Parts: sequence; structure tokens; C-alpha cells
Amino acid sequence: MANFNIDAKQNMTYDAIVIGSGISGGWAAKELCEKGLKTLVLERGRLVEHIVDYPTMNNDPWDLDLRGAATAEDMKDRQVVARSGFVGENNKHFYAKDSDNPYKEEKPFLWMRANQMGGRSLLWGKQCYRWSDLDFEANAKDGHGVDWPIRYKDIAPWYTYVEKFAGISGEALGLPQLPDSHFLPPMELNCVEKDVKTRIEKEFPGRNMIIGRVAHLTVPLNGRGQCQSRNRCDRGCPYGAYFSSNAVTLPAANATGNLTIRPFSIADSIIYDEEKGKAVGVRVIDSETKETIEYYARIIFSNASTINTTQILLNSTSNRFENGLGNDSGQLGHNLMDHTYRVGAMGKFDGHHDKYYKGRRPNGIYIPRYVNIDEKSKTDKFVRGFGYQGGAGRANWDAGANQEAFGAEFKDSLMTPGDWEFFITGFAECLPDYDNKVSLDKDNLDQWGRPTLVIDAEFKENELAINRQIQIDAVEMLEKAGLKEIVGFDNKHGMGYGIHEMGTARMGRDPKTSVLNATNQVHAVKNVFVTDGACMTSSSCVNPSLTYMALTARAANHAVSELNKKNL
Amino acid sequence: MERREALKKSFLVAGSAALAPSLLSILQSCKEQSRLNWKPEFLSIKQAELVSSLVDTILPKTTTPGALDMKVDMFIDQVFGKVYSEEGKKAMVIEMEAFDARSTEKFGDRFAELSSENKTAFLKEEEANCGKFNGKIWGTAAGEQDPVGFYRTLKSMALWGYFSSEEIGLNVLNYDPVPGPYQGCIPLADVGNTWSL
Repeated sequence: MANFNIDAKQNMTYDAIVIGSGISGGWAAKELCEKGLKTLVLERGRLVEHIVDYPTMNNDPWDLDLRGAATAEDMKDRQVVARSGFVGENNKHFYAKDSDNPYKEEKPFLWMRANQMGGRSLLWGKQCYRWSDLDFEANAKDGHGVDWPIRYKDIAPWYTYVEKFAGISGEALGLPQLPDSHFLPPMELNCVEKDVKTRIEKEFPGRNMIIGRVAHLTVPLNGRGQCQSRNRCDRGCPYGAYFSSNAVTLPAANATGNLTIRPFSIADSIIYDEEKGKAVGVRVIDSETKETIEYYARIIFSNASTINTTQILLNSTSNRFENGLGNDSGQLGHNLMDHTYRVGAMGKFDGHHDKYYKGRRPNGIYIPRYVNIDEKSKTDKFVRGFGYQGGAGRANWDAGANQEAFGAEFKDSLMTPGDWEFFITGFAECLPDYDNKVSLDKDNLDQWGRPTLVIDAEFKENELAINRQIQIDAVEMLEKAGLKEIVGFDNKHGMGYGIHEMGTARMGRDPKTSVLNATNQVHAVKNVFVTDGACMTSSSCVNPSLTYMALTARAANHAVSELNKKNL
Repeated sequence: MERREALKKSFLVAGSAALAPSLLSILQSCKEQSRLNWKPEFLSIKQAELVSSLVDTILPKTTTPGALDMKVDMFIDQVFGKVYSEEGKKAMVIEMEAFDARSTEKFGDRFAELSSENKTAFLKEEEANCGKFNGKIWGTAAGEQDPVGFYRTLKSMALWGYFSSEEIGLNVLNYDPVPGPYQGCIPLADVGNTWSL
């Protein structure tokens, strides 16, 4: 699928401009192109073509001198993303250099950035869960934040729509708090996971342990191959088995002939026309030449990722919008949310010593939310809830480091699989809090002359209370499931580690308290749509990407319908 | 002429410069185990001798290759030089010196020079006093990791270098680059050794 049209010089005017090519931007591009709109996608990084630009996808450890470790020299420019522990020689080219994109952390905030075509869709965790009315009604019910302007019934058909094209594997269970997707066949649990599932579900009525629902193909779909269990996803998948913009949505957009991608294009600001009362285009800085160029379109989708979209909107000032485009409410940049990460428990399973598995399944187990889902499960310790991800596997030679042994017998013992181990780690819902915010730092400009960002956000009492419960419950479940040598843990991470930033341009019913309406349009500038994580009114405790996809497809459909009615 | 003298003389008569180092090592036979047959790029000779003797003690040659066969010491030299930060290198060097100081205090010489019995005795003590790594989740430590001593760190690097080497990965462990759909519960007997990837 080579030959993307990158020649944006010929044409300065398009029907639509999409800022960003990650998960939501790719969907916006596909939907708008397929509906016949000439669409310009602005990508601030380089082009990454599916397969062609996955140089490390087949590396074995011994193919690299340092067996996959990145050099200190490489990491010098990636001190922020290095904190995640995810970056190595095989994937470093998909992580942005922090040194090129400085920001200020008032409190520790890990901002993971991947500035290239496809963005973080090349690196994401692929966990896909529908939100439910438990989520969409939460703010209205307990009074935190503002009410979502939509309910599950508004988004349900759009979940189905995107799932059919993205390909989500999983098992249908009919749980009200975690609605079923349109599923491809589920991946398999291993023997220990099956045992632990049985014991947890028996010991704790109302709790379920299921195989993760993931954007990995378990059967071929639309020319993409099924997952081969290599677990080398973050280098790019040669089979296109996991959902990424590069493998799925952008090729579809390109096939229409309506797509132009402009790489190295930093969206500086959205151009607002005071007379027309709407946005007319996007001011772009070429990251290589530093030249400023203006592109024009009838509608604009901002899909730059939560924090980058916020930066663009805050930086789009005019007489009408002195504090940022669409910021009449003063909420733009506020209510930043993320999920808590790495609080849970691990232990060893005594049994199944004669069993093993085949394949490196890029997926694990999921324990859906079971607290505060009805009257019976209500707690007075906190509002909202949490879910767990986890999994079982057999230890390998790596476990030898901790064994108090060395020498011939020790070495030979490491050739065969070690103990079965099982862990779960919780993800807590984060409340929208006005004090958790992103703002422009006009005194510190980046190398392109744009104000940098200050991020000032932290988990507050409700999230910490949920985390305490996560650890207590995790240890208790592992005990009841018969695991041994159980260790509870809490990494006490600040925000950002969940890599689920949300909420800084939230949807709402009232323009006085929100930035976007029920169809993701900026209240006061209806031809600007925001459908990345910035639009989220609450955070749920489940992974958000599937919801971004559905909201984007829904908003694109609305945009084209409004264009056709000449309402935009 | 004593036999030893004669031997010495005959080597000297042969006069080959290339033979000189091995002659030297024969004459200093008790120090043979610390002799390097490679030139470290980043570690000092003494540091490299410590690393070599450690990885050889931890993962000796058996029916399967040993750490030295897999050039694990050379690998650690590269990791030390290229992956460690400047501060990390300094800390590692201090720990190496402290390790050898303990060895000297207890057994009268630096680790590389100890007899294999004394090496074993010393490492058993180090094992008990060295801290442990936390369990890992998705590749990083679960919970806040307390500092781990030099020996544990070195051992971990030795295992990494050994088991990620081509010979072990392809021919000793089970190599399966494209496993296909995940099978969650199969007899271990059908697989045998651990998967290498």
C-alpha cells in the first residue's frame, strides 16, 4: 500500500483537514475520505508505511549487539519515555525524542509521545472494551464533572460499526457493566488461568475473569492476517494482525483517492474567521524547514492526541477567543484524567507442572469492574470503580537471577520452564478535577517558536482510595485462588503511566461548562470537531481507545450529514 | 639442568613472539584462570577478568556450552560501555572494587585469582547478602525496587547474555519465531525445553 499522496503543495484547500494520524485521526481520515471528502491529514512526524517502515519486525535477540537494549546515547534524548520501561533498540524509532518536545511537569506526569504517521496506534495495548451506561451516567449520578451529553444507546451502533472493521477478539458474556462487542473468536486462556478463573468465580460471586478483549485478529479480515503470537507488536506487525492506523484505516482512506498526507507538519493553530464565525483552516509549521503554511478546509478534525489537541486549541487565539478556540467555558485544558497503573498482586501456582503453552499471546486476562455496579456492590470508601488486567505464564531463565544457586546444575535447570506465575494489576477510574490541568507556557517556546506546555496534575483522594482497594482485593483473590508466595505491590506512579490521557476539551450539554457538544463539535465553532481523548467527559476504568474510534466514526458521519445540509 | 629450566630454554630457543604470552601463563600456572583471550573495549583488564571468572563460575560449560563459549563476558563489556550511563558505570566500578575487596578480605585474593572452591564459598555468601529483584509486570519491576548488589546484577546480565545468544536461542532452547495461534495448555513433554523467544 505504498504511494500515499504526500504532495500537499499543489493544493492549499481541501474539504476536510484531520490533525493527527493516530487511532482517532486514522478513523477520521477513513470515514471522511470514504464519504467523498478530499481530506488532508497533517502528521507532525515522518511517514511510516505499513511493513515497509518496520525495520526491526523480524529481529531475534542475537541479531543486535546489545540484544535489544538501547544505548545510553539513544536514551539521552528519551529520558521521559524511558521511565515507562517500554523503550528499547527494536522500537525506539517509534517514540518521540523528548528533547525535541520539552514540557514542564509541575507534578510528575509521564507524557508518552510517538510523533510519526500512525502515532501511538503502533504501540498501544490493543485492549478494547465498550463503555456502558454505568460510565456515561456516572458524572450525573455522583456529581463529579458534568453530565455526558450521550448515553450508551447513542454510541452502541458505532461501536459495532468500528469493531467490524477493526477486528476485536473476545468472548460475549452479557455483562451489563461491560457490554459485548461484535467479536472475532476469543484467544485461549492457559491452564493456570482457567483454574484461577474457576476459583475466583466460585469464591467471589459477581466477579468474572475473562480473556482480554483485544484488537488482534484471530481470523483473517479484509486481507489482514491473523495473529501469529510473536508478541513483537511494538515493532510493527508484518501480518497487519493488530489494529493500527498504518495497517488498517489509512490504507482504506488512501484507497479512495481522496487522501493527502502531509508529514513533518506541526499544527500550530486553527484559523478562525471572525466574519464567517467559523474555522477556515489550519496554520502549519513545517518541522524541517520551519516554514509556516496555511491550509484551508470546510471542516477540521483535531485528533492530535489529548494533550497536543489541547495545545493547538489553547494556541488558536483571536479577538473572539482570547483564551483559546472554543474556550468560552474556561474548561479547555482542565479536567485531565488518566488511569492508575501497576497496583496489584502476584503469586506462584503450584500445579500443572507437566503443562506448557505455545505462542507468545499478546493479551492477558481481564477482571471487569465489580464494585459500585449496583446497590449490592456499593462501597462507601470511594465512588466509581476499577478493573484488572493480568495473566499467567511459566518463569524462564530470567527467574534464575534471584535463585540462590549457580554452577553446572543451576545452568542446566534453567533450560526447562520454571514455576507458573500469575498476576493482576488494577486500573482505577480517575475523576475529572478542574485542578488537573494543562496550560501554555508562553515564556518557554519550543524550537518552532510555539509556547510549550505545563502539565499540573495528580491522582487525588478518590483514585488513591480505589488503589488501596485494588491491592487488598488483588491479594485476597490470589489467596482464595490458591496461589502461593503472594506479593502485593503498588508502584505509586504519578499520572501518565496509564497512557490514557483524557478530558481536557470535554463534551457536555452546556456550553458554559464544556467545550464540545454531543457530536464532538466545539460549541461555538461547529465546524471544528475533537474526537481524540480530549473529548472525554469522564474516564471509566476501562481502556478508552475503542470509544475514541466509535466517537470519531459517529462525529464524521454527523459532519458529512451537516455539510450536505449546508449547516457547516 | 632441571627439567623446568630445559623447558623454558627450548621455548626461548623457539623464540616466537606469539608464544610469549602462553609461555608466561604456563610459568604462572596458578593464575591461568584469570587470563583473558579477548581485549575489553570498556572494562579494565582486571574488571574484565572479574566478569569473566564470575560468568564462568555461574554458567560453566557442561554438556551445553558455558558462558565463556557464548562470549558473555564480552557482551557484558559492551553493555557496560554502551548501555550504562556515566553515573551507572561509576557505581558499577565502585561495586566491583568492593566485591574484590571482600574477596581479598575473606580469601586473600581478588575473585579472579581464587581457587574454584573459594570462588564457590564466596559466591554462596554473596547470594545470601545481595538483595533480590522484584517480580516483573510487562517488563518492569512491580513495586518499588530496592537496590540490588553487584553480584545479583552481574548474574542477571550473565543470564541475559547467555540465553539470548544465537547458539542457545536456536539450538538449545526451543526456537519458534512464528508460533501461530496461541495454544494455552499443552503437555510440556511435547515441547521439552523453554521457548527461547
